[in-house]
Amino acid sequence: MTKPIQDSRSRPAGLSSRFTGAHYLRDSLAFLGCAMAFLAAGLVIGENYVFHILILICIWSAVIAGWDLLIGYAGVFNYAQLVFFAVGAYGSAMLSVSGGLPALAAIPLAAGIGGLFGALIAIPSARLKGEYVALFTFAVHLALPSILQQTRGLGTGGSTGILGLPPISLFGQTFYAIDKQAWFLMALIVAVICIYLIYFVVLRSRFGLALLAMRDAPAFSEALGVNGRRYQIAAFAISAAITAFAGAFYAHYTAVVTPRILGTEFFLMAMVMLAIGGMGRFPGALLGVCVVVIGNEVLRSFDSYRLVALGLIVIGSVIFLPDGLGGFLSGRMKKRASSADPT
Amino acid sequence: MNIVEILISGTTQGAVYCVIAMGLSLVYGTSRILNFAHGALYTLGGYIAWFLMYGGPGLSFGLAFAASLPLLFCIGVALEAGIIRPLRRHTNWQVNAIMVTLGLAFVIENGLQLLFGPKTKTIPAFIEGGVSIGGTTVSLYKIALVGISVLLVVLLELFLARTRAGKSVQAVSQDLQAAAQVGINVNRVFGLALGLSVVLTGAAGILLAPVFQISPTGGWSPFLKAFVIVVFGGLGSTRGAMLAAFILAFLEAIVVASVGPGWAMPAWLIVLMIVLMTRPKGLLGVWEN
Repeated sequence: MTKPIQDSRSRPAGLSSRFTGAHYLRDSLAFLGCAMAFLAAGLVIGENYVFHILILICIWSAVIAGWDLLIGYAGVFNYAQLVFFAVGAYGSAMLSVSGGLPALAAIPLAAGIGGLFGALIAIPSARLKGEYVALFTFAVHLALPSILQQTRGLGTGGSTGILGLPPISLFGQTFYAIDKQAWFLMALIVAVICIYLIYFVVLRSRFGLALLAMRDAPAFSEALGVNGRRYQIAAFAISAAITAFAGAFYAHYTAVVTPRILGTEFFLMAMVMLAIGGMGRFPGALLGVCVVVIGNEVLRSFDSYRLVALGLIVIGSVIFLPDGLGGFLSGRMKKRASSADPT
Repeated sequence: MNIVEILISGTTQGAVYCVIAMGLSLVYGTSRILNFAHGALYTLGGYIAWFLMYGGPGLSFGLAFAASLPLLFCIGVALEAGIIRPLRRHTNWQVNAIMVTLGLAFVIENGLQLLFGPKTKTIPAFIEGGVSIGGTTVSLYKIALVGISVLLVVLLELFLARTRAGKSVQAVSQDLQAAAQVGINVNRVFGLALGLSVVLTGAAGILLAPVFQISPTGGWSPFLKAFVIVVFGGLGSTRGAMLAAFILAFLEAIVVASVGPGWAMPAWLIVLMIVLMTRPKGLLGVWEN
């Protein structure tokens, strides 16, 4: 553990942190390479059911990346991530079904609404600490279904939700949900943009460094002039906007929005992904998404036991793999590096 | 609804809320863990009693209640040793503890749904009849509810203030390090606290079963209410929690009487927001948070 610290001391100018530039190009290319491999794998298999699973992986990746930004990197115990997802989905649904906007206009607008909503949640949260944030945000999550029920008159559709969202039209061509291949391409582009924005643009900038500083040494970073409150609100807004974008995209893919996205199953899925993948360890959370989405499909035959199993997996992976797959892998790599180089 | 009814409803609700909230406060006070499964354990208490009465052994209410309490205590101790203690070794155990307790809540919720089905269960009130106070009939059951709740709270307070084990719980909640240095077995105290907490919340779940019925997902609302009470009263202060429980119960009774039961939960959330914004320390809080 002492070695990397000495390294950074010997190179004071080189901010050798992973977040400020070292290997930036290499990592970006590696990421894009993985995305291309993912694309190629999907196209080679080329089956509708597989496309559907890959689309789900893409959408969840964007959501979990947004959550990871807040909970893993900024250290904010936010549990309202699916609220942002729902805001995006409902926002886009209401704009396109009641407002008559085309999907291509409704989705970015919904992302904007999501960002505003995120900032709105962040303003009280930024004044709170630790578990208080967890509880406040989770309370928002629990309250939203009944709020949707109460605001039926505004067009949220109550417990039935909103049906008949228009499909995305691009270049004079309309992509219906049956055209899985086109949706896979779009979902992959959405996911790549969202993930790249979070892990390579936001987190590797000074802003990301400030978030990490706020997480690890709040008092010290305040003393250095980091405006923690403002940064936290901005992080919330970015995360919420990206998640809402994914939510809106998902809504147009499935063509229906119901309060089910705030139900136990979605929440547990998201939690398992983060718990298995590991928080704040870059590829970890995304690995978690792949494992869980595929595992969930495998477990589908166990239908009624599935939710219990998901809950048990959350508990088990947090206890036995407290850093998730991401931490496990990087730990293994570190161990190998230190055994290869005993000095 | 007249003023007498509001008073009666506020008193009964307040007494039970007190029991639930003190359990939550006790665990947070000692082990700094906000137990997200508190509500699920409340539900579990109801189901255990229901099972003992109608599922298998066919006990009477009193026996089922008495048999449930040690069982709940053991569940609490086992949970602490099994899934909470291993987390402490790790640096960011706080977020892991939230994850684990939330996961546990969902396991209990869905496990109960698997075992007993999604339909609500009910336990009939153990006392029938009522007395008339100021022109309103109050069921004897509600009076008994207040009596048992107050008894539980008093027993807990006596335990904390008088016994050796209770004093060690207080010592740990005041200063964990110092308590460990003077030879208090901190892990045992954590286990004891969670055990007692599960007993309290489970007992509340059993006592309220005749009013609210038992359903697998029915624990979230008491959990959130308990949390609002604990924050409002001030974390680490059981007296504050008691005071807050009654204030908020009366507020709820007034809201329900004047604008309708659908607004009870939003009212709680608004109170939570106002408290967190203006006085995060709570009424009689010890810690600034």
